[in-house]
Amino acid sequence: MKFGNLLIAGITTGSIYAMFAVCVAVWYRVSNILNLAVGDFAMVGALGVDNLYRVKGLPLPVAIITTLAVVAVFAYAYDQVVLRIAQDGPRRMEGIVVTFFFTFALSFFIDGVAKMLFGTDVHAAPALWNGASLTLGSLNFERAGILVLACAVIIGGAFWLYIRFTLAGKALEASGENSVGARIVGIDTRQYRRLIFVATAVIAAVFGIIESPITGYTYLSGATISLTGFIAAAYGGFRKPGRALLAGLFIGVLEALLGGYVSAEYGDTVMYALLAALILAWPQGLGFESAVSG
Amino acid sequence: MNRLGSASARATSWAASLGSLGLPRGLSRDLSGSSGQAGPVGRVPRGGVPTAVVLVAGVLIVLVYGQQYTGSVFVLSACYAIVTAGMAVQIGFSQQIAFSQSVFMGVGAYGVAMLNTHFNMSVLVATPVVIVGAALAALLLGSVVTRASGLALAVATLMLPLIAVGYVSASGYLGGAVGAPLTGTLWPSSASSTAVATVGGGLIVVVLLALVVFIAARILSSDIGLELFVLGVDERTAAALGVRTPRRKLELFVLGCVFAALGGAVYAGTQQFVPETLVDPTAELALLIMLFIGGRRSVIGAVIGALVIQYLQGASNWVSVNILVVEGLLLTVVLLVDPEGLAGIVTTGVAWLRRKAAGDGEAVAAGTGAVAGVPGGLPDLSLSSVLADGGTAAKPAGPGQPGGTPLLEVRGVYKEYGGLSVLDDVTISLPERGLFALCGPNGAGKSTLLNVIGGSVPPSAGEVVLSGTDITRRPPHQRFYQGISRTFQAVHLIKGRTVLDNVAVACLASHNSSIVTRIGRSRLDAAREKAARTLAGLGMAQLADREVSSLTLETQRMVELARALAPSPRLLLLDEPASGLSEEQRQRLAALLTTLAERTCVLLVEHDLALVAQVSERIFVLSGGRLVFEGGPADFRSSPVVNSLLVGS
Repeated sequence: MKFGNLLIAGITTGSIYAMFAVCVAVWYRVSNILNLAVGDFAMVGALGVDNLYRVKGLPLPVAIITTLAVVAVFAYAYDQVVLRIAQDGPRRMEGIVVTFFFTFALSFFIDGVAKMLFGTDVHAAPALWNGASLTLGSLNFERAGILVLACAVIIGGAFWLYIRFTLAGKALEASGENSVGARIVGIDTRQYRRLIFVATAVIAAVFGIIESPITGYTYLSGATISLTGFIAAAYGGFRKPGRALLAGLFIGVLEALLGGYVSAEYGDTVMYALLAALILAWPQGLGFESAVSG
Repeated sequence: MNRLGSASARATSWAASLGSLGLPRGLSRDLSGSSGQAGPVGRVPRGGVPTAVVLVAGVLIVLVYGQQYTGSVFVLSACYAIVTAGMAVQIGFSQQIAFSQSVFMGVGAYGVAMLNTHFNMSVLVATPVVIVGAALAALLLGSVVTRASGLALAVATLMLPLIAVGYVSASGYLGGAVGAPLTGTLWPSSASSTAVATVGGGLIVVVLLALVVFIAARILSSDIGLELFVLGVDERTAAALGVRTPRRKLELFVLGCVFAALGGAVYAGTQQFVPETLVDPTAELALLIMLFIGGRRSVIGAVIGALVIQYLQGASNWVSVNILVVEGLLLTVVLLVDPEGLAGIVTTGVAWLRRKAAGDGEAVAAGTGAVAGVPGGLPDLSLSSVLADGGTAAKPAGPGQPGGTPLLEVRGVYKEYGGLSVLDDVTISLPERGLFALCGPNGAGKSTLLNVIGGSVPPSAGEVVLSGTDITRRPPHQRFYQGISRTFQAVHLIKGRTVLDNVAVACLASHNSSIVTRIGRSRLDAAREKAARTLAGLGMAQLADREVSSLTLETQRMVELARALAPSPRLLLLDEPASGLSEEQRQRLAALLTTLAERTCVLLVEHDLALVAQVSERIFVLSGGRLVFEGGPADFRSSPVVNSLLVGS
């Protein structure tokens, strides 16, 4: 049942990748900015809860709520100060500087602050659902993994319902399709940029909190998570959350299978080579062209 | 010729007076930011100023501080500056975002370390060996990777550092996570003292950095530099203007990799140790931070960025402990102030000071100039007595076949997008000269047909034949050389460049030259001269030094038309040239087009039926991808098909 267990592990990590990819893709649709700091919010979630609960001795629910509130307020303030100057001011910036480099700088900034506050050791938020892993025949299910999957389904589903069935969701979709057009018909795209940025930051922090017991985080873990989310979003064509979700799952499963069957050491190397080959062989199919021109 | 001479003299004097007005932001940056010269410097060779600054300052710092900590930090930052100078050309200026620098820095550093320790080769000999190897590797890798564009290129190359770090950390031969030490130093003589070796090695690094700055600055200020700028703004436009984009992208990739390998090689030679972290993905990010803080489009900016970041990291105080916070804040603040980084801030500051210092006299001169020149509007499009004289854009069309073969034949062209038929068996034929129009409702396939003729869209079936030669499989840039020139539905001018440069892009003779040749001479002046003549011929000489985004839509369309005309095309494809223009402007355009049609073949996509019927010799109507009407203006007006389709019931 090696294959079955690898598949379970792959789907678990894949669902994490998928959630970060969805966060990147949804915000890119609204703002045309790639959030390279999404993983850093996850890291702050995990290490923040750990710090408040273990070091400061706050009760766990208080620690979680405080951390999420801090993340939300910080994300809001960042949008109000930096993105407003860059995007809403008299000289609106365009191109790669905005697409990549503001959130890139944000990622460095958050990591640096985390290093000051939480130190450089590996920590994790306390497990929310304690106990030995569950077994079904020869299949193993880690409790944290089940929690991750459940949250991915709930949050992903809520997101989908919001976009599909509410007026706000439709407006959001419109501002992604054509931001100038959306503004002309009275949709405030800036408001959605802010809303989705704060929402995805909080969602990322939540996933950091529930996932960190599995892997453990340091102040530098955020960059790796952002990278995986970015790559998965890229394979979803950046603008399509649904495809980003599938790509995230696919990468998670691929990583687990390569690690299990090919080589534990070189599994990731082989995976990245495969992913690069896939882009070069089939750029249009993966939606890159539309992401560039659209 | 006299007339031409005086026109271009007038253009020059205009350029001078506009210059004193205070150059538009983009232009002044372009002059001093990317090359550090051009403008009024005169006899200083291209790239001379930044090179001299780097060389003199670098040598002084190494000689004075060489043996101290400051000196070692400076030499380390110079190693990184060699890499970032290449990135300024590849990533900043040409916007080909490829994350290959840290990998090739690793190739250079590990290559030198391995040759030094395992084969006992001296560092100074190993360096060129490794550079050649890196160039070959980059050529191989680049010919695969640069087939991708834009974000696809970025994501595909993003895998490279991830693959590299996985390989290096698991490889015992390269020292794995421990790193690789070197026995030799960059300074060749093993007998000399450590002090001499340190200072000597530092001097070699400075000289190499100056050389790299020289090469980069000369490429950017040359005619190929202009090609690269267009490539960076929009690859499709670049191809339509004759730029051989696949070749340029490959050259840029190799150049970036070679500079990175050189930086890595001297890093190994001066540090005498290669840590695994050199190829870490975070090293790639650090290089990008240096480039963007310094100024992405400026070679000197990239060097300054490397200096600043390395200095902050080596400061061994609060700053270096919390370097991530400092880098994050610094990058955010600098980009908010100016997306062109520190170099942009300095350039803007200098321009402001210069204006301030220039004082009142200049302002008066500028004032009178402005009155005389009516800047902003077009004076009059009497069009080119010059054109009519056969002076510039009008050379006799093509080398012969009078009356015989048609100029352009489109034979049975089909185009499908995922099962949806956009062009369905379209056949048209155009003679050597005349004005022809393509009409049809939205989505009829007009722009697609223009793209099929221009070469940016390959047809699913059918042939495109130019003067009897089948060009169906030729890429857009080759069709440009064969005399097909076009404008786009939306204006595709190059922001941040002057009108003159926008037209000069179409006059470049550099397309078949390698990027390396531009370290030698540049023919940018020749292209600019030709562009100035075209502008003068269209009565637009006074606009030459205006930055294009400061112009009105009509003027921008005229500039685009001038750009299409400048290479004396045999076939001119115009995609809705009148959209957004007023009735009066349309009439001027109509007059211009009629004159043009006397010596070249013009195919016009247009919605304005009155304009079409007024100027065209023959009109083609597309509907649902099929050619439903073909005939003269009289038939066009009376045709029931046309009326039901285009005028509406």
